[in-house]
Amino acid sequence: MSTQYWEDVEIGSRRDLGSYTFTEDEIIRFARKYDPQPFHIDPEAAKQSIFGGLIASGWHTAAIWMKLAIAERANSAGKSPLLRAGVSPGYEDMRWLRPVRPGMTLRFSSEVCGKVELKSRPEMGIVLTRNEARDENGALVFVFTGKGFVQRRPR
Amino acid sequence: MNAMAATLYFENFPVGRTFECGPYSVTREEIIEFAREFDPQPHHLDEDAAKHSMLGGLAASGWHVCAMTMKMFADHMIPLMAARGGSGSREARWMKPVRPGDVLRVEATVVDTKASRGRPDIGHVTFECRVFSQTELVAIVFMTPVIARQSAA
Repeated sequence: MSTQYWEDVEIGSRRDLGSYTFTEDEIIRFARKYDPQPFHIDPEAAKQSIFGGLIASGWHTAAIWMKLAIAERANSAGKSPLLRAGVSPGYEDMRWLRPVRPGMTLRFSSEVCGKVELKSRPEMGIVLTRNEARDENGALVFVFTGKGFVQRRPR
Repeated sequence: MNAMAATLYFENFPVGRTFECGPYSVTREEIIEFAREFDPQPHHLDEDAAKHSMLGGLAASGWHVCAMTMKMFADHMIPLMAARGGSGSREARWMKPVRPGDVLRVEATVVDTKASRGRPDIGHVTFECRVFSQTELVAIVFMTPVIARQSAA
């Protein structure tokens, strides 16, 4: 199977990462550990909040995006060229636009929106991705710009 | 948390005000547990594989670093302020690997405030959360909680 380097990544190429249904139990479990605000951990208190009910931590939505991105990469291993991707230096412009409630199913995607050369590390480049989650009606719920180091073609 | 217990409103967060949050002890077990569920890449799961990665050894997922930062911020700040949820995070920089045994702390500094145009009862306060291990700055995570306005309370 061929290898895909930074040079081979095409701006505009899009990966559908599949969908995910959030359950009340896991919303509460994640939030107890990492984001213990009443509207994330207590269904009764959440009813009195401005959200009118329990909602997932935005960090939970972000973590599920990562989970699906890794699963999609594993599924396509052996079917499409292996991207020489490494770690990420961070992200930009993450927005939680609509509440994520128990039982909601979100569809996640990732589209290449830019490529950056690195003067300091000529063996690596950065690939920028616009990453989204949409609800059953297609409304945008979650969006951010991801950054990933990708190996450059050996010269 | 009810509004009566909250003491800090939107007006109480001038640019430059800093809060100290933490500490948070990072364990190997938790790094692996988080990674198994959300970010199962070898450099977050397996010591030997991690040695040969860009990270040079087992390190926490960046999303785990954000989650731990949120936990420190929430534990310290949420009881103090009239929080109404979060609208986003304009940036995170994962600068240094976070390792098993690290003890993290956060310096959360107000860098921007914006009263809501459509909603006179709330405003957005952006914090730059600088995450330190016992030895160095390891990450910067921006948080923008929505906070009730005192003038509307």
